[in-house]
Amino acid sequence: MDSQVRLMEAEIVPPESFVAVDHRLFIDTNVFMDTDPVRSAGLKKLFERCKDAAIGNANGIVVPSKVIDELIWQSGLDTSAFPDDRAAAVERAGKWLEVLKELAAHRVVRNDLGDGSNPYADDLFVGLFSHFGGRYNMCLLTNDITLRLRIRLLAVSTGHRLVAGTVRGDGQIVLDDEKSLYDRAVWKLTRINRNIDEGLAKPKDRKELAFLTSLLDEFKRALPVAALDTGSVPKQGDKLMAGGSPRRSSGFKRVTTLKPKDQLLPDTAIPGAGDRVFIETANSRVALQLGGLLGEGGEGSVYAMDGVESQVVKIFDKDHRTTHRKAKIELLLERALRAEGIGFPTGLITNADGAFVGYSMPKASGKELQATIMRPARFRRVYPNWTKADLVDVCISFLEKVEYLHSLNILLGDINPKNLMVDEHKDVWIIDADSWQVEGYPCPVGTAMFTASSITGDYANSLRTVEEERFAVATMLFMILITGQFPYARAGADGGDFATLIREGKFAFQFQGVSNRDQPEGNWKFMWSHLTPPVKRLFWNTFQKEGGSRYDRRPTASEWLAVFREYRSFFGSAHDFDPMSNDVYPIRLKAFRPDTPIRDCPGCGRKNAIAGKSNDDGASYYVPPLCYGCEKTKLPCADCGKSKSADQLKDGLCSDCRPIPCNDCGKQTRKPELQYGRCPACVKKGTELDPNRLCSDCRQPFITYDHKHWFTSKGLDIPKSHLAIKKACPTGAFAPQSARTARNTTGAPRPASATTAPGLWARLVKWFS
Amino acid sequence: MALKFHADDLVENPTPRVPVTLCLDTSGSMMGEKVRELVKGVNLFYDAIDEDDDAHDSAEVSIVEFNSSASLIQDFASIENLKRIESIDASGGTALGEGVNLALDTLEQRKMIYSNAGVLYYQPWLVLMTDGQPNGRPEELKRAIDRVTEMVAQKKLTVFPIGIGADADMTVLARFSPNRDPLRLRGLSFKEFFEWLSKSVSRVSRSTPGDEVKLDLNGLRGWAEL
Repeated sequence: MDSQVRLMEAEIVPPESFVAVDHRLFIDTNVFMDTDPVRSAGLKKLFERCKDAAIGNANGIVVPSKVIDELIWQSGLDTSAFPDDRAAAVERAGKWLEVLKELAAHRVVRNDLGDGSNPYADDLFVGLFSHFGGRYNMCLLTNDITLRLRIRLLAVSTGHRLVAGTVRGDGQIVLDDEKSLYDRAVWKLTRINRNIDEGLAKPKDRKELAFLTSLLDEFKRALPVAALDTGSVPKQGDKLMAGGSPRRSSGFKRVTTLKPKDQLLPDTAIPGAGDRVFIETANSRVALQLGGLLGEGGEGSVYAMDGVESQVVKIFDKDHRTTHRKAKIELLLERALRAEGIGFPTGLITNADGAFVGYSMPKASGKELQATIMRPARFRRVYPNWTKADLVDVCISFLEKVEYLHSLNILLGDINPKNLMVDEHKDVWIIDADSWQVEGYPCPVGTAMFTASSITGDYANSLRTVEEERFAVATMLFMILITGQFPYARAGADGGDFATLIREGKFAFQFQGVSNRDQPEGNWKFMWSHLTPPVKRLFWNTFQKEGGSRYDRRPTASEWLAVFREYRSFFGSAHDFDPMSNDVYPIRLKAFRPDTPIRDCPGCGRKNAIAGKSNDDGASYYVPPLCYGCEKTKLPCADCGKSKSADQLKDGLCSDCRPIPCNDCGKQTRKPELQYGRCPACVKKGTELDPNRLCSDCRQPFITYDHKHWFTSKGLDIPKSHLAIKKACPTGAFAPQSARTARNTTGAPRPASATTAPGLWARLVKWFS
Repeated sequence: MALKFHADDLVENPTPRVPVTLCLDTSGSMMGEKVRELVKGVNLFYDAIDEDDDAHDSAEVSIVEFNSSASLIQDFASIENLKRIESIDASGGTALGEGVNLALDTLEQRKMIYSNAGVLYYQPWLVLMTDGQPNGRPEELKRAIDRVTEMVAQKKLTVFPIGIGADADMTVLARFSPNRDPLRLRGLSFKEFFEWLSKSVSRVSRSTPGDEVKLDLNGLRGWAEL
């Protein structure tokens, strides 16, 4: 038993031990092209750790010329049409080539080994390892699961220390435990199988399928696959994961009658951290110690399994040790189901008295969706580099598992973002097997947002239908793509009643011209806008009660898979013309045609932030001057209330409302009130007659300040009379001569024309009076 | 700018909110040790929310104090925007009805904001804490009791009436909570209560056996007398 347990453990190896004398360390192409930030940082550390020993022992890390050739070929590719992740991988190839040159110059790396005789690097490594295995202890760093499997087999058959692994963040090398190596290979096989079934396979996939199938058979024969595994290699074309035992290779029975009500099991001692428990499989009972507490949930606690890295143990608390849970776990264990990413039970856990207390399962990688993707602020921190395509990969990973479980007639029941984990490779884990619905055992819990309106809420006393589960699946997919937004979130509706929102079936996101007035506030509408039409159509039809063609006939996991795979292949394709399509958080609506003008925003400088809007003629575009964000952050002027962008406002006032001094009197005045730079008071004054300047004929004020100013501004003399400015003296306005005579006589000499006029006026006045 | 930040915070976080309104007695009888412990308890509540992944993104807290009158000392805000309380002055009478009415008005306003923006929320919580007898206007008290009991009946509110010390009027508190007896705080164990409260906020988003809000009332036994 001991040796089997030991085999289940992953091994961590310091890389420098393989540049010691009589050791050799090799690195495969894919390691240099790995864009995972943790592993690529780890690779740098690996070189650092090894450099002194490699130089000192004159035993550089071997990067065969074959690998160098591949890197050169890759780095020369034109990446303009590639999806981002592929382009990033190519870019890495180029960077590492430079670094490798440098490292080779310092003899940390040997890149001159190898010849062109072997067309495949994989075969080259296996060839090297089998040829030199007797002479050196050898290690290969590769991300290719098939190659790691081959090296492991080689080690077993030759008895030499030959290992293959991956690098982790601290630069150390991780050698897979046999079970996870096996599981991963099975998973890869299943993926290839499915691609072939669905016509997506490339020729090399078929070759790999045959190869991997025989390899797995060999692996099974050569290695006692860890204690907990009883699975067999799936046959070609068999969609089921490893496992389908020969007795019952199809799924579980489809049962529509509820099992008798769940009962608490008689009290027994609930073990805790450090306690000794037993793990029971079909024909063994092995003692083990519970490791540290990893987490507490609503039904029990999860512990590490001492000495077994890849497994964890869930121990139920006393209120959740029930007949249903025990029966369910036993039923699942019968099939010995195994699949990467699904927390199938691997063993029944009993206490010292032999009473059922929990079950063991593979340790899931990653974090709860609830703590990552479902929260934009956290998501940006945890996976800052993820693109929309990465989220699509997460959906695909989730769907593959759901599809498989459904094919076994297992319903997850309580699908929610706390029961799903996602890791940095975008692989989804489904956990909480004990809450699944299988063969008439109900799923006793639920989460309101994922509960179809046909479910009454009394989860434990009724069986769910697969149709109801599909509601939860669709909701989860939507919430992954839109990072946590609920499909029925709707402005203007009471957001406190999820059940009603679901029952009303009003999906507020716009689809083909259907009103979007109720879309929730925020940038969610942009995220929705950029989804491809087939994805939008299926969501809309699934969620929209009025007019949705799939509202009563929700899409299956397989249907969604096809749509999401198509979405995945859209990125970087000819149809992908909007440079913002791959952004998780786009900042504007999608550009609807390839010829739509797209501009950077002059306000905030963000790239491609403005897309033209189609004019009514359908042929031309209107390009808004600012992006949506800049337009939105416009603030109202404190005075006139007109919205202006922040840089147009000073002290909260727009340029119109900001006071400037009057040209004449200097008084602070709002711009719209100014006339030719003058305040209203000065304007008014300008139109008034100057009382100090009298007409030489009628002795009345005759000229306005403005008019006077006009003459002086032209450098002209100011006229002296009404007549001189082409006006008539007012009738009956003659002032007594005497009063003014003195002053007027001191004035400037009268122009000739002015002298005749008073005579006329005087005559007329006389005549009238 | 401050205003804008709050609005974005509201619409950019899709997590359904748990609005929690604390309606606190700050009458003269609370002066000294009691109110100091209460302030400590509230700040500890903030810390606990901040540290809990789930509560951090879902909790929104408001505080209404009541003495001779009622006032809103903290409008609903997420943990990032909550201001820590340094101290509260305790003096004057016990306008409990006025306090509860103001708390409910504030809650209604918040729900309106949620709904207009399309933000989801769970059933709101009202925590009502007093150490004495209400002596505000009787019609206000009656209106407060009617409003609370009706909302509870419609499952639109969860209420936690808490008596502080021996003089708290448990009969009046009971009228606010027809389904569950009010709790009397043992000594000044505010800390334990608020720890429990933050854990309960965190628990709201978890899977539940039915559509009931899951409250771990067993957790209350440790610090309260029933």
